Amino acid sequence: MGVRRTPAVTSLDLLAPQRSALITGLRMSEREAAWLRAIGLGEGVEVTVLRRAPLGGLLHVRVSGGAELAVDRELARNVELGPGEKERP
Amino acid sequence: MTPSCVVALVGRPNAGKSSLFNAVTGGHAKVGNFPGVTVELLDAQVRALSGELIELVDLPGVYSIEGEADPESDEGHARQFLDRARDEHKPLVIAQVLDSTQLELGLGLTLELRRRGVPVIVLATQHDALVKQGFELDAAALQEALGVDVLATSARAPGIKEKVSQLLADVWRQQRKPPHGTIDVRKLARQVLLPKENAAQSFARVRRRTERLDAVLLHPLLGPLVFLGLMTALFAAVFMIAEPVTALIDLANQALGTRIEGVLGTGWLSSLLVDGVLGGAGTVLAFLPQIVILTIAMELIDASGYLARGTYLVDRALRFAGLGGRSFVPLLTAHACAVPAITSARIIRDPGQRLRTILVLPLMTCSARIPTYGLLITTFFSDRSAWFKGAMFVGLYFAGILAGLVASLVLGQTVKQTGQRRPLVLEMPPYRRPHARVVARVAWRAGTRFVKDVGSVILIAAIVLWALLTVPGPGDSHSAPPGASPRVVAMHGSLAASAGRLLEPLSKPAGFDWRLNVGLIGSFGARELMVGTMGVIFGIEGGEDDTAPLSARLREAKTATGAPAYGPATALALMAFFVLACQCMSTLAAVRRETRSLRWPLFVLAYTYAAAWVVAVVVFQAATAFGL
Repeated sequence: MGVRRTPAVTSLDLLAPQRSALITGLRMSEREAAWLRAIGLGEGVEVTVLRRAPLGGLLHVRVSGGAELAVDRELARNVELGPGEKERP
Repeated sequence: MTPSCVVALVGRPNAGKSSLFNAVTGGHAKVGNFPGVTVELLDAQVRALSGELIELVDLPGVYSIEGEADPESDEGHARQFLDRARDEHKPLVIAQVLDSTQLELGLGLTLELRRRGVPVIVLATQHDALVKQGFELDAAALQEALGVDVLATSARAPGIKEKVSQLLADVWRQQRKPPHGTIDVRKLARQVLLPKENAAQSFARVRRRTERLDAVLLHPLLGPLVFLGLMTALFAAVFMIAEPVTALIDLANQALGTRIEGVLGTGWLSSLLVDGVLGGAGTVLAFLPQIVILTIAMELIDASGYLARGTYLVDRALRFAGLGGRSFVPLLTAHACAVPAITSARIIRDPGQRLRTILVLPLMTCSARIPTYGLLITTFFSDRSAWFKGAMFVGLYFAGILAGLVASLVLGQTVKQTGQRRPLVLEMPPYRRPHARVVARVAWRAGTRFVKDVGSVILIAAIVLWALLTVPGPGDSHSAPPGASPRVVAMHGSLAASAGRLLEPLSKPAGFDWRLNVGLIGSFGARELMVGTMGVIFGIEGGEDDTAPLSARLREAKTATGAPAYGPATALALMAFFVLACQCMSTLAAVRRETRSLRWPLFVLAYTYAAAWVVAVVVFQAATAFGL
């Protein structure tokens, strides 16, 4: 389970399947951000991409709270990730 | 008797609120394995062992009760209830239903609920699932940390009704105000989840099962194939499995008709009972097996957790048509009935998508269309193989879906996008084995509801129609076929026949004569009435000694010149009309309620009928040109 520095991955939509990273910020209105935090996609949460639907479809992710979510790719673009990503735990 | 207190069941979507509500109240709230199953407030009264009467309210799921929420959404409705209870100083207790397999996520909501200043209790459900994952919940430690009562349970635990109702009464009596402080929920969740021996293996085993299923069901190629295969199998089963049972019920109907005629002779009472009651309501009743099979299949899809996977698979295609992944649930629900589907559109957060979804839902093939499709296919394509007929039935379902997608694309040009676009985030629940008892209960309820409808609305409509086909109208009876009996000649000159004949200039290009027009008028309010109407008309037309089934009578129907009145071209045109026309007053009322406007139901009525007429004419003319 090695940790690789990959500065290119700065948002959730760029995270490859079976890789995990920490959410560090939400680039959206406070109202949307509050809703996302309540769902479980807030800052400090470790998120793992399980798979991506083809043709720019949804991302299937797992958050550290245990829930699995399907996330819109457009929204994922505005979910900032920390600089360190790693293989899925 | 006034209840001592109101207990609101609050929790994240799919936390198990409705299952718990049913377990405690013995109620029949719709439960499912998908976030957003409860979109309406359900309430029931339950008495605690100590005597207090409690009103239990099952609220739609909420992620948060603070911050802004769209008042039209399911979450908005739940919040409005809590706010109103606070403003009206209702004797309120909040019972948070918390999925103990997702403790950390649920505890965020607990902190918000504690800040409401009313007594709170946490009902940590799914404890059996947590144990399977290799953990136990330390309820005492959680209770101490939160400062509110905590019960670790599951909806199927023995004695849950008595235990929970008494606990709720105790919480109300004690009036303990919860503390307001902040807690690190991640740390707390780790502290109170106690790993059992082999916890890691148990957890990995449960997760591996889900991953294996997802690897197939969400595979980029296999997933859509399985999805299409499942839908096709479902629609084909509705037709192919149920058809023999339907034929048996039809035979029983005929035998009963013959017996009634044997006892009562051939007077007006016999005609009313045989042509009106049995021909009308009895013919519709024969489609009970289809309704039950469809309900069972939908329940299995919902309870297993596949519904969310379907959403994941179709989101991109739906977005292309201006809808979204969350539209999938109302679209699928509408294949049983559009009315609850329109209500369930509240789970769509994007207001523009929600409106578009509501406007196209009436195009989905609801169960009320099944009798007409079944009758037309078995009547006019009887010489074809069972597979051909099954494929035709499936094709009608997909025609409805295609019509919905096209309508959404067209509506996108006309319906103004309201508000900002809201991106989709959807919980993917774990797979669960559906409970046979729950499935059986849902099927039983759907069956009894259908029988009640047939025994009330459809029966009354059939009798009224029989009367209207007896009362002489202003028109003549020139359309009666040569050699028709006096009763048939009288029917051709009846009030109902005159009304049907008025529409003939408009309907002839689609191949519909006055008899089909009477059916279309009769089914304007509820499309089930089409088959009932046909049953009455062709029951009378069949003559006094004729006990042939409706399908045979339709095939043998004649025009005034003695030529066959209908053929496959008429059937195809009529099916096309039924795919598109919104022949359902309840649906229009639901559209009005959800859009809070008269404009949108009128729009639905106008666009679906206009499209139905145009397509029916095109289909009839094309089919006739091809010699059908």
